[in-house]
Amino acid sequence: MNEAVCLAAIFALFSIGVYCLSVKRNMIRILLGIEIMLNSGNLAFIYFAFLRSGRAFVDPLGQSIVIMSIVLGGCVVAVGLSLVVNAYKQFKTTDVRKLRRLKW
Amino acid sequence: MIPAPLLAMFAPIVILVFGFLGENTRVGKLREAVAVAMSAASVAAVYVLYLMLKSTPDGILVFYLQGAPPLGACFEIDMLGIFMAFSVTLLALFATVYSVRYMEHDTRLTEFYTLLSAMAVGMVGVAFAGDFFTFFVFWELMCISSYVLVAFRKDRWGPIEAGFKYMVMSAVGAAIIFLAMAFLYGMAGTVNFAQLSSALHGQPMGLWRYTVFGLLVVGFGIKSAIVPMHTWLPDAHPEAPSPISAMLSGMLIETGLYGLCRVLFLIYEPPAFSMTIAVLSVVTMCFANLLALLQQDIKRLLAYSSIAQMGYMLVGLSAGSPYGMLGLAAHVFNHSLMKGLAFLSSGSLVHMTGTRDIDKMKGVGRMMPVTTLTLCIALLGLGGVPATNGFVSKFILFNSALGAGMWWLTVLGVLNSAFSMAYYLRVMKTLISEPEEGLKVREAPALMVGVTVVMAVLIIFFGIYPAPVISLAHSASEALVNGLKNYIGAVLG
Repeated sequence: MNEAVCLAAIFALFSIGVYCLSVKRNMIRILLGIEIMLNSGNLAFIYFAFLRSGRAFVDPLGQSIVIMSIVLGGCVVAVGLSLVVNAYKQFKTTDVRKLRRLKW
Repeated sequence: MIPAPLLAMFAPIVILVFGFLGENTRVGKLREAVAVAMSAASVAAVYVLYLMLKSTPDGILVFYLQGAPPLGACFEIDMLGIFMAFSVTLLALFATVYSVRYMEHDTRLTEFYTLLSAMAVGMVGVAFAGDFFTFFVFWELMCISSYVLVAFRKDRWGPIEAGFKYMVMSAVGAAIIFLAMAFLYGMAGTVNFAQLSSALHGQPMGLWRYTVFGLLVVGFGIKSAIVPMHTWLPDAHPEAPSPISAMLSGMLIETGLYGLCRVLFLIYEPPAFSMTIAVLSVVTMCFANLLALLQQDIKRLLAYSSIAQMGYMLVGLSAGSPYGMLGLAAHVFNHSLMKGLAFLSSGSLVHMTGTRDIDKMKGVGRMMPVTTLTLCIALLGLGGVPATNGFVSKFILFNSALGAGMWWLTVLGVLNSAFSMAYYLRVMKTLISEPEEGLKVREAPALMVGVTVVMAVLIIFFGIYPAPVISLAHSASEALVNGLKNYIGAVLG
């Protein structure tokens, strides 16, 4: 029961991320979609660390990886947001439908 | 304990400090000098590591950081890692020297050299990583630096759009790799490569192993631009500054391929992935070659040609034999020289003519003879003409598919390779035909021409005398395919 819920949550988060990336048109929302996808990996690590522990102590390896991954995700989003700021400053839009000048 | 050669990984910080010193004290060209010196030092450091590796009995160097695995991180260096690191640092040296003149009219150059060096360090770290955690950290270092570098000229629309597209796709790829890593951790309870391999290698395929396989192929496939996941590449490579295009095309996508090869060989047996990779390879080369034929933009054409070359490299992976991986490793090195040169010399053309449109470059070759000659050598190499190094590695790649019993893959590969000459020859013909009235272009600055000439000489040299590359690539492929026991034993003891 518990396992099914956790695995379902991991896949649900991943699918929400994919949905967000494929449907949303705002650059900032797309960045949020990336974060959600990354969080499904984080959740998976936390869950598997919990499983490996024998329920006494949680495996510290999974936890430390998750902390590092949150930091890395933050870096990626920071770069992404700076791109959004530059796009907005110069072209007054954050709509990805306008990102269509480069083709083929 | 970190050994001395690995200290070269702190090169970006050194360049940053000296860059700011140079800016504030107005010492001309200090940061350029430091950047070139540091990238030369990195090549030397890789050579020292190679000598250290030679002196070990089983051909593996392991360095633990903060304790033993599974908790501690580690570098595990074998011949394949050294081979990749050598290709990266060599190309980074060429790109840095080239940037000195190419980027001189840009601002924020301290950041540029720091990021260029950080990207190279990220790739070297990926090649040396002994566990998935280290791998992922260096992977992100490489990716994040490259996002910024693609969008470096942020005051124009193209780089911003290409950079954002690239960032989104690559970050999704990293998230997918991270999820695959989580599942592997769930299956084996460790992220150390050696321990993962001893727990999972040779186990029967099940639902979870297929899931992880799919995630790995998609995640690494996005980075290495395998065709359904390639859409960022033809935008990002042309919009980046030319030295960065050379790095991206020459080594960054191959680093994705390296990750794929490393993880697949650690966890799966070659027959498990042979057919999938073969199909991806065919789709990749056919699609990319067709689209390259339609391009007007010279750098975009070269970007599509990179995707096609990635298809040829996948032929070696799908063969899965030591011979196929030999071809793959040799082609990674040769492609880094050829595509690096192609992007650098077409960068010189773009720099001097101010356009990327092939038709507008008609006759430029008569005014920039040396640059055009080097570009032609690079293009002939990419097409696989004998007496260039591209021929040698392509021959081995296509031959390896025959050895694995996939004759159709060989036929398609050779046909694609011949077909690709169509667009290479078109570029050459346009460049050397009669110039239009009033076209005035000077030859590129001596430093830029010098770098391209050195690379062209290397291409011809390794085409006529391929033994050094082949013997290094041979030991690299042996380390990957047959050295698995050593690789595991070095950590588990």
